[in-house]
Amino acid sequence: MADTSLIDGASASISAAPAAKPMPTPGQIALRRMARHPGFWFGGIVLGVFVLAAIAAPLLTPYDPGTQDLARRLAAPVWNSAGSWQHPLGTDHLGRDYLALLLYGARISLFVGFATVLISGLIGTVLGVAAGYWGGRVDLFVNFLLTVRLTLPVVLVALVAVAVLGQSLPLLVLVIGGLLWDRLVIVTRTATQQLVGREFVTAARAIGSSTPRILMREILPNITSALIVVGTLELARAILMEATLTFLGLGIQPPLTSWGLMISEAKSQFLFRPWLIAIPGTALILLILAINILGDALRDVLSPEGRA
Amino acid sequence: MSLLEITGATRHYQVSAGLRRGRVLQAVRGIDLAVEEGEILAIVGESGCGKSTLARLLLGIEEPSSGSITVGGRPIGAYGRVERARLIQPIFQDPYSSLNPRMTVAGAIAAPLEVRGVGNGRSRLAAVHEIMDAVGLARYLAGAYPSQLSGGQRQRVAIARALIGEPKILICDEPTSALDVSVQSQILNLLARLHRSFRLTIVLISHNLAVVGHLADRVAVMYLGKVVEAGPTEAVFAEPRHPYTRELMQAILPPELGRGLPELRLKGEFPSPLAPPTGCAFHPRCIRAGDACREAVPELAGSERLVACHYPLREPVHA
Amino acid sequence: MTPLLEIRSLSLEIPVNDGLLRPIRSVDLTVERGETVAIVGESGCGKSLTSLAVMGLQPQNARLSAERLAFQGESLLGLDRRRWQAIRGKRIAMIFQDPMTAFDPCYRMGDQMAEILRQHRPVSRAEARERIVALLRRVGVPAPEDRLDQFPHQLSGGLRQRMMIATALLCEPELIIADEPTTALDVTIQAQILRLLADVQQETGVGLILVTHDIGVVAGLADRVVVMYGGEVVESGTTDEVLGSPRHPYTAGLMRSIPVPGRTRRGQPLGHIPGLVPRPIAPLTACGFLDRCEFRHEACAAAPVPLRSGAGERQLRCLLPIETPRQPAEPLVAATAIA
Repeated sequence: MADTSLIDGASASISAAPAAKPMPTPGQIALRRMARHPGFWFGGIVLGVFVLAAIAAPLLTPYDPGTQDLARRLAAPVWNSAGSWQHPLGTDHLGRDYLALLLYGARISLFVGFATVLISGLIGTVLGVAAGYWGGRVDLFVNFLLTVRLTLPVVLVALVAVAVLGQSLPLLVLVIGGLLWDRLVIVTRTATQQLVGREFVTAARAIGSSTPRILMREILPNITSALIVVGTLELARAILMEATLTFLGLGIQPPLTSWGLMISEAKSQFLFRPWLIAIPGTALILLILAINILGDALRDVLSPEGRA
Repeated sequence: MSLLEITGATRHYQVSAGLRRGRVLQAVRGIDLAVEEGEILAIVGESGCGKSTLARLLLGIEEPSSGSITVGGRPIGAYGRVERARLIQPIFQDPYSSLNPRMTVAGAIAAPLEVRGVGNGRSRLAAVHEIMDAVGLARYLAGAYPSQLSGGQRQRVAIARALIGEPKILICDEPTSALDVSVQSQILNLLARLHRSFRLTIVLISHNLAVVGHLADRVAVMYLGKVVEAGPTEAVFAEPRHPYTRELMQAILPPELGRGLPELRLKGEFPSPLAPPTGCAFHPRCIRAGDACREAVPELAGSERLVACHYPLREPVHA
Repeated sequence: MTPLLEIRSLSLEIPVNDGLLRPIRSVDLTVERGETVAIVGESGCGKSLTSLAVMGLQPQNARLSAERLAFQGESLLGLDRRRWQAIRGKRIAMIFQDPMTAFDPCYRMGDQMAEILRQHRPVSRAEARERIVALLRRVGVPAPEDRLDQFPHQLSGGLRQRMMIATALLCEPELIIADEPTTALDVTIQAQILRLLADVQQETGVGLILVTHDIGVVAGLADRVVVMYGGEVVESGTTDEVLGSPRHPYTAGLMRSIPVPGRTRRGQPLGHIPGLVPRPIAPLTACGFLDRCEFRHEACAAAPVPLRSGAGERQLRCLLPIETPRQPAEPLVAATAIA
């Protein structure tokens, strides 16, 4: 080619960058940062232990959480002078093994948490991306929905839903999932708005991309980090909400069990056997704390674009 | 017939001002321009003159409020999404914003072919490698993400993405403003070479007159949504006819000794496009303005050299 | 007589994940009263950081060291916050690239400017206002009284930059540091603002450090030039010396890559500097420009190149400087000698 200066430029940039070292992808950079982040380790390990314990519940305790043994009711946990290793965490007022209740309760709490985040994440992303991408009337409409949603007290809606449709696990998931999308909408809408103003979206239009392609290839990959961070924090919120509703008698009912139900049933024993509330309460606090710390760590790890 | 014809194009925006009735911002106020096949036409002007709006009209991203823009005799709006993409491609100013941070270099460059459904993954990658060679990007960068590239490399990726579908027209909106001078010169060299080898028609939108003077065959100077002067680059630079063009030329600071600072004869400030002055939009700032300039809008007149001024300059300016 | 500002071997080190960034490596700089010194270079060369370090505004985690950093003969090294505040804004003022971000969008322009003045001078509100109006009139702001009640976003870019210059002049500083003062402005406004800076300097005799990437601005305004590359000064001297006959290959490369209407031929390839700016992570073991230099030689790779004085005021960091002015592109030694 006649223009030798260009060729020089090209070869020089080859030698300037270390060609032998493969370029790390943003995913690899994020992984490397995660490995160095203490919050990620703490949050991830605690959440992981809870999830594994919930899945492996039958292996960790010989008892069934439904089996009542009135002869052994209200047994003390092992650290109490009256406790024994037969029931390490004692039993409740119906003589059910408290460790079994805790482990099987974790299943429900975590299931409700993840299922509702899935629902609210879907609703929030669709509404937020639509509002941010199309703007104008779509944005006004989504804003209206958001305002309406923010005026609805979750507990009251749950009360009405339970009164009309009866109490059930699917209903609980639907109510929480159908209500806790507010922050997800706000976050995805803002993120999408910022992206739409950037030139690569205009460039995508100029190369003839269809709207679905722009949404899937240009917008969504760039809001996933934000979604993961907010979704994690919303997971904690959903688990707390389940506990709250159950405590108020609107959520989980026997024979199912959850931590909220354990706290609710133990409230009459509060003064004499405080561990009955302290055990599920501590588990709940630890889990929420771990998820929130994990969410913060994910934000640190995923948000800034840059070198490792 | 010219490849690209702009006839009486205008573009208005409703500007809402709180609770008050929205006012009308006239970004482009009636432009007539023709771009011939294979030429580089530069559109110059300062911020607020409407050149970026014109770029969006030329890309078909926005429709003109009135008037028409035709490519090969057909209005841009009449082409389908993909059809239009095969004709016209953009190069943007900021290579940090024009590439998707989550897409690899190869992914970004191959996107136009994917959208069009051309070939399979392997043949597309071959095409990507070929165009990377043409724009001076090392092939090993194909798997890199934009954050791992320098500004110049990113701009090369953007150019490769625009050219892989072999468009006829390239709309370059300030293609080198965000780059360092030593990188700018590489991109300018590249554009000049690609212009020849791809037989491109280029509309170069820039505020940098040195860049324009280096690349363009013809120049159109815009002021407040209108073309005030147009003509062959050398002629316009050597002998500006419109007083505004002359001030623009005077304002260039060449890296040469003994020139000192330019003495401009501009009055006042750039007017608001929400309330353009009457008559000639430039008259409040013009030292030559007379009564006619306040009342009548000057027409863009002439054959090769076009100028919209009641009292155009005739004497050559010795810069 | 002591120079207005004297910097000897200023270095800045910033610890990062994978080592120690060295964005400024042993920079020397002097500014005399009434003089304009331009610091020129491309992004990442350390020019802005150098000017921030003079104001004590380097990044929090950066480690600054210098043999001497003195303003009016008074050392600026190790000043506490109170003594810095007595200097910043009062005796050394700064003009930034983007006046939109330099002003607080929540306060009226008049209040912001009055606060700065009253911080350093015991003046009444009315006196402050009077002085500000006079200054605004001086820098060519039309209807200055009205501007005082406006918010930054209500002003045009050119007007904001004029008001920033007025703000810098409020306390009659001895030194002004202007970091890319016209980069964000349109060409005609750039010309007007540069003219204003030149006039202001003529009148007040203030020292001016002009940080810029635009050699055209340097040619129009500066008395002396300091060219930086990779955190080092590679060439310095009077503007006539450096721009008239650039002797460092980097300076020459920069000059050749700029299109000049009427001088460079249309469509003909411009000069350029191959390669990329290296990340300043390791101590130098060779010439910092080695990888990108077309004249490089074995000796250039052997050890870091010292800054040496040449004829006149010129200082040069090059073992094989370009000898004949105005005739670049003739390699003295084959580039293949190394590799």
